[in-house]
Amino acid sequence: MKKYFLAILILFGSLLLTAKAQAQAVVIANPSVKSADVSKSDLRDVFTGAASTLKDGSHVTPVLLKAGGAHDEFLSAYVGKNDSAFRAGWRSLVFSGQASMPKSLDSEAAVVEFVAHNPGAIGYIGKGTAHEGVKVLSVR
Amino acid sequence: MLLKYIASGTLAILGLSICLHAQEFKIGEKDVQVHGFGTQGYVKTNDNNWLTMETSGGGSGAFTDAGLNIGSQITSNFRIGGQAYSRKLGALGDWHPQLDWAIADYRVKPWLGFRGGKVKTVLGLYNDVQDLDFANTYALLPQSVYPIDLRDAMIAHEGGDIYGRAKLPNNLGAIAYTAYGGRRSDSMSSGYPYELKTAASIYLTSYGGPVFGGDLRWMTPVKNLKLGISRQNERITGTGKYSGAPYTERSRHDWTNQFYGQYTANRWHAESEYKRYYRDQIILVGTPGALDIGQDIRGWYVGGGYTVNKWFECGSYFSHYRDTFGGSLVHAIVYKDAATKDLDKVVTGKFTINRFTTVKVEGHFMDGAPNEFYPAGFYIPENSKGFANTTNALVVRTGFSF
Repeated sequence: MKKYFLAILILFGSLLLTAKAQAQAVVIANPSVKSADVSKSDLRDVFTGAASTLKDGSHVTPVLLKAGGAHDEFLSAYVGKNDSAFRAGWRSLVFSGQASMPKSLDSEAAVVEFVAHNPGAIGYIGKGTAHEGVKVLSVR
Repeated sequence: MLLKYIASGTLAILGLSICLHAQEFKIGEKDVQVHGFGTQGYVKTNDNNWLTMETSGGGSGAFTDAGLNIGSQITSNFRIGGQAYSRKLGALGDWHPQLDWAIADYRVKPWLGFRGGKVKTVLGLYNDVQDLDFANTYALLPQSVYPIDLRDAMIAHEGGDIYGRAKLPNNLGAIAYTAYGGRRSDSMSSGYPYELKTAASIYLTSYGGPVFGGDLRWMTPVKNLKLGISRQNERITGTGKYSGAPYTERSRHDWTNQFYGQYTANRWHAESEYKRYYRDQIILVGTPGALDIGQDIRGWYVGGGYTVNKWFECGSYFSHYRDTFGGSLVHAIVYKDAATKDLDKVVTGKFTINRFTTVKVEGHFMDGAPNEFYPAGFYIPENSKGFANTTNALVVRTGFSF
């Protein structure tokens, strides 16, 4: 019986670890963005609609994933909100006339495609996702 | 009754949230977005009918609102949009559709932007977002600072804003500012015209005037601590009829100060605001002589919430309201520098059903008697037998947004 519980524990533990590993998010930007890195606070400001420029003066436009591990990981690591609270924040800006809702795309490939072809676009994808045509920003 | 209401309300809202999604289409090369929101509430009190609803007895579901929004980002700096809004709150609103806001917004730099048209008024933490039930922990924001029956009075102005945000040197955080000027024009289905009509047989036909003010908020070096101050000055004129004679009221002084702070940390948030509204009015009732009335309304609250998991958040606030008034009109009637005090202790639970839908269940424990000169949630026609000194209320509110 003890072995059974131990096995269950190891199974769920490894599932959690796997999920965590797969969900690590990478921040990507259109090559027109000058910065090679971005601070966590700048990233949070841009993705909550509080700011639209990075420290170097680059104007950026955030693009979102609709759902998924990379989306949840990004929100948790850099925005500090769950999906509902995050979208509620954006809707507050939209319904009070202070901003437009960022584009929300279905897949990480679509985010890469959008970011690659739109100057100033900034988004996020999972660590293992191919990202040709975009630059990866390191987060300070 | 209650269970039936909650079940049917939740089902209706869920159905709407499944059917309705944000729409995006193109006009020419430009993306156009359409969003919307709506809520349905139910209020039951043990005594006193509240917010012009018949809330005692079986309770009332005459607590509904909805908004529909359309907007387009024309360039990276230029945006246009507008929103229609309609509500029914007991005897108020009456489903008259309103242009909630309609703006053109040009942001020159992060620290300098302009918006003009009909603009939501930034005043304190929540004035411009007070209708957005999904964004708040509470089913009813603290009524001492954000009275829902007077929502139309402060919600927007026709004019323009200058706004911006800038980082401060030496890691002192950032500031955001808004300065505005324009004109306020109240709906005649709002709380104040209703109060005058039902308490004093004064039938207003217009109420509004020039308004200007500003808001300054400081995102402090203490992570997630925000402090702010708002100020608004107005010059209001109301016209109408009293016993067949022309009625005019005109403000000599009319201003609001609001101070606020908010702190968020992981799953916690805490906020507090203090608001003082002062007005000094001249009243003319078809005679050469003028009466005056002065009013000093002070409200504050302390509140907070904790997100237990992605489905549930709990919260609480303590709200205090005090209305002191005096003047020749008041002297003439009976009261002299009389004051009204209201306390409201609130506990709330917010259930997030999915990313579009929320259900809130909230208990209010109020202590205090209303006055007859300025609305404070309790009105005479719905309480014709007199007011009890305490009121307990259950508020259930379901909402969706897309």
